[in-house]
Amino acid sequence: MTQDTCTDVVVVGAGPAGMTTASCLAESGVRALLLDEHTAPGGQVYRSVEKVTDKRPADLNVLGSHYRSGSKAVERLHSSGAQYWPGTSVWEISAAEEPALAVGVVRDGRARMIQAGHIVLATGAMERPTPFPGWTLPGVMTVGAAQTLLKSSGLVPEGRIAVAGSGPLLYLYISQLIKAGKKPQVILDTRPRASLQTKLSVLAALTVDPASMFRGLGWMREVRREIRVRERVHRLRASGVEKLSSISYESCDRQFTDEVDLLLVHDGVIPNTWLAMSAGCRHHWNVQQRCWVPDITGAGQTSRQSVSVVGDAAGIIGADASVLHGEAVACEVAACLEGKQPGVVGNAAHPLLAWQHRTLRRCLDQFYPPAQEFELPPDDETVVCRCEEVTAGEIRRVAALGCVGPNQGKAFTRCGMGPCMGRKCGVTVSRLIAEHHGLSMHEVGHYRIRPPVKPINVGQLADLETDADAHTD
Amino acid sequence: MYRRRDPISDSIMIWFCDRRIEAAADDSVAAALLAASISCFGRTAVSGAPRAPFCMIGNCFDCLVEIDGETNLQACLVTVREGMRIRPHPGNGFGDDGEKGEA
Amino acid sequence: MNHLDIAVIGGGLLGSAFAYGLSTDGGRVGLIDEGDHAIRTARGNFGLVWVQGKGLGMPDYARWSLRSAYAWTPFSEELQAQTGTLVEYHRPGGFYVSIDDTEFADNVARLKQLRDEAGDEGYDYEVVERAALCEQLPGIGPDVPGATYCPHDGHANPLKLLRALQEAFRLNGGTYTPSSRVTTIRPVNGGGFEILCEGGREFGCEKLVIAAGHGSAELGKSLGMEIPIFPVQGQVVVTERAQMTMTYPTNYVRQTDDGNYLLGPSARDVGFNDETETTTLRDITRRCTTAFPHLRQLRIQRTWAALRIMTPDGFPVYLQSEAYPEAFSFSCHSGVTLAAVHATDVSRWVLDGHIPSQYRCFHPERFDVPA
Repeated sequence: MTQDTCTDVVVVGAGPAGMTTASCLAESGVRALLLDEHTAPGGQVYRSVEKVTDKRPADLNVLGSHYRSGSKAVERLHSSGAQYWPGTSVWEISAAEEPALAVGVVRDGRARMIQAGHIVLATGAMERPTPFPGWTLPGVMTVGAAQTLLKSSGLVPEGRIAVAGSGPLLYLYISQLIKAGKKPQVILDTRPRASLQTKLSVLAALTVDPASMFRGLGWMREVRREIRVRERVHRLRASGVEKLSSISYESCDRQFTDEVDLLLVHDGVIPNTWLAMSAGCRHHWNVQQRCWVPDITGAGQTSRQSVSVVGDAAGIIGADASVLHGEAVACEVAACLEGKQPGVVGNAAHPLLAWQHRTLRRCLDQFYPPAQEFELPPDDETVVCRCEEVTAGEIRRVAALGCVGPNQGKAFTRCGMGPCMGRKCGVTVSRLIAEHHGLSMHEVGHYRIRPPVKPINVGQLADLETDADAHTD
Repeated sequence: MYRRRDPISDSIMIWFCDRRIEAAADDSVAAALLAASISCFGRTAVSGAPRAPFCMIGNCFDCLVEIDGETNLQACLVTVREGMRIRPHPGNGFGDDGEKGEA
Repeated sequence: MNHLDIAVIGGGLLGSAFAYGLSTDGGRVGLIDEGDHAIRTARGNFGLVWVQGKGLGMPDYARWSLRSAYAWTPFSEELQAQTGTLVEYHRPGGFYVSIDDTEFADNVARLKQLRDEAGDEGYDYEVVERAALCEQLPGIGPDVPGATYCPHDGHANPLKLLRALQEAFRLNGGTYTPSSRVTTIRPVNGGGFEILCEGGREFGCEKLVIAAGHGSAELGKSLGMEIPIFPVQGQVVVTERAQMTMTYPTNYVRQTDDGNYLLGPSARDVGFNDETETTTLRDITRRCTTAFPHLRQLRIQRTWAALRIMTPDGFPVYLQSEAYPEAFSFSCHSGVTLAAVHATDVSRWVLDGHIPSQYRCFHPERFDVPA
C-alpha cells in the first residue's frame, strides 16, 4: 500500500474475529487494513499468544490448549497480505452525514484520518460492570485483568486473594492460576439457586456440544475441589484505606469478613459497542444476554450502510464462533464492495455449528446469570460512575426528578462524562432509571456516544491533517 | 499485588516518580508497575481517591499516567522503554499526591 | 386529563426558566417535555452569560442582555438557596479574544458601532492590547493581537442551571411530565387549550407557553403564530479537568468550576444534523490553541454538537397569539444569558397576560417588512 491514508476496508480489533475478517478479505484480493491498540495481535482471548509461544512456552501449559490454538489465526493474518497496524487507537468514525467514510486514529502520538470504503468493527467484548461498595479501591480488579497480566507478562497475584462473581472465565482463570502454583483463598459465587430451566439448558447443551461443556464443567469441578466456595453471595463490600484490605459479604444467611490483598471480580462479558454506537449504528437491548447489541441484517451489516460488526461485538458468541463469523462477514463485505447482493454464503456453510453455538450460549447465559446486586446496586453509596464518582443514590435522585434516560441523567449528574465514556457505568445507569420508572431497557436507551472514543489530546487534533489539506506521507 | 512467575530475562529500567523499577522489555507499563507493588497509579479528578488498573484492556481509564511528559496515556496499553519516566496523571491537579504510590 | 393553570411546552433552558418563574406565583404549572432522545439543544450550551458584542442593529437586545446579566446574581442565589444546587455563576467580566489582526480590527469596529448606536444606554467595554492581556489571561498565545473586555460578561454551568430550574420548579409545586411529545394543541371554546401528547397523555390549561426549541414552529402554527426559526449547528470540545488557571471567560474558551475547558464556537448550516464533524472540531482546537497554546496538552474528554434555535437576525422571537392571546411563544439561542429575565420579566408577562409594548421589537413581524 503506497498511500496509507486510504484503503478498501478498515477492520478494527485484532482478536479472532478481526484477524479472520482481515485475513479473509486480503486473501480474496481486497485491500484490508487491520488496526489494533495493542502491540501484538490476539485481542483479549489470545492476548500475547505470539510472545508466549516464543518466549514463555512453559506458560502454554498453564494457559491451556484453547489459548494455544490462537496462534493459527495469527499465522493466517501474517501470511494473508492484510496490512496490520498495532499500537493504533481509533478515536472516531466519521458521521454518516459526511461525504467520505473515514476512521480517525492516533498512532505514534499523531492523529490521522484513514479513508475507507467499508469499516468492520471487531471490538470484541468487555467485562460486565460490577458496582458494589468499595469496587474502586486499588486492589479490586477484574478476573480478565488478572488473566491479561498472566498472559502478557507472566504475572501471578500475591497474598490473599478472593474471586467473586460467576462465569466461565472466572473458572478458567482460577484453573490456570492453580496450574501456575497459586490458589485463591475463597471463591464467592454470586449465582442464585439453579432453576429448573437452568438445569434443562445444561442438559440441552451437553447433548449439543459435549466437548465445550465437559471442558467448562471440568474447570469448575477442579477448582471447586481445591478452593473453598461460598454460595449465593450477597452484599459484597470491599474496604480499605488507600487500597483494599478486607471484604465482607453474606452467604447462605451468614455474614463473613475476610482479610484480602486482592479481589478479582467477574460477572460475564458483554459486547464492546462504543465505536459502533459512536458511528450511529442502531442497537437494541438483548434480554437474554442482558446487554446492548447492534441491529444486524445478514452476517454483520449494521443499520449504517458501510459499517459491519463481527465477533463478540455483535453479540457474545465466543472465540471459535467468532472465527466462523469473521469468514461470513468478510464474504458479505467483499460482495458489498463489488456492489453485489451478498449471498447466504457464510452462514449457510455452517448452520449446524451455528445452532450448536447458540444452544451452548443459551446454556451459559442461564447457568451464569448476572448478579442482581451488580445490575441494581442496593446501597445508595455505591459508586456507579467510577470516573465522576456518581453514586447509585444520586442516579435514583435524578430519576425521581424526572430523568427518563441516561443522557438526561448524564446532564444532571455528570455520570458518563469521564474518560471511560460510560463503559463502566452505562448499563447500570440505564438499569437504575428503568427500575425507577418501570420502563424496559429498550425504552430507556443508552448513552449517546460521541467522539473521541479513545483518548486524543487537543494538540493532536489541532495538528490533524485531512484530505482537504492535501498531504502525502 | 503481583509477582513474576519467572525472573526477567530482558530487563530494562524505568522510573515511577523517584523510584527506579526493573521491568521486562515487553511489559506494559501497568504490568511493570503492578509487579513492583505500585498500588496507586493516580488520583481521581473529583475527590482525589487513589486508583489503580481495574480492567487491563483499555476500558476503565483508571490507569492513566503521564509518560516522558506526555499525558493521558493508558498504562495498560503502552509498552515500557528503557529510561521511561512515569508519573501519575497530573491533569486534575491531584497528581502530586500519587508520588509514593507504593504498596 | 390533567388540568393546569399554565402549561409550558419544552423542558430546555427556556421552558424550564419559564416554568420556574411561573411556579413562584402559586398556580398549577405543568412542564411538558420530550424524552431522553430528542434534540435537546440545552445539552450543548457553552455557558456564557454574555453582553459584549450583542445587539448590532437592535440596541434593545443589547439592553435586554445587560438587564439579564445583572438579574443573574439574585437569580442564581435564589436557585441555590432553594435547591442547594450551585449553578456556578461568575461575573468577573469577559474577554473577546481575537486570533488575528483582522478579527481584532473587526471586533473593535463592531463594539464602537454598538456604542454609537446605543448612545448613553450603551455598556462599558475596553480594548486591551496583547501586552496587557498576559496578566488576566495567563498563557495567552503569542499570535493574539489583543482582546476587548466587558465587565458585564460572565459564565455559568448550563447543565446545573437546567437541573436547578427543574428542582426549584418541583419544589414550588410544579409538575414535570417527560416523554410527552406534544402532537396537537386545540383551543377550547370559552378559553384555554387542550394538549395532546404522543403516548396518549392529555392536558387542559388556561394559559400556554410554547418553548419547545425547534418544535415551537410547528406547534405555534396551529395557533396562528409564525415563528421563523431554523437550526444552526454548533460544536463544543470539552477537555479533561486541569488546574484552575482561567478565571475570565472568553469567546473561544472558558474553564468551568470543575476545571474542564470548553472550546468553541462554531456554526454550520446542516439542517437537523447533530453529529460532530472532524474538520470543524479540528478548526475549533486550532483557533483555541492559537489563543491558548497550553491547551494542547489536555485530553479531549468529549465533544458535542447541538442545534441552536436561530432566528433570521439572531435576536429573540417573542410573541403572543393574536387569535388566542392566552398562548405565548418564546424562542432564542441565548438560553443561558437570558435565563434570568426569562424567569422573572418574561414569566411576569405571561402572568399579566400581555407582552409590554417596549418589547415589541422582539415580535417576528419585524421580518415581514417589505423590501
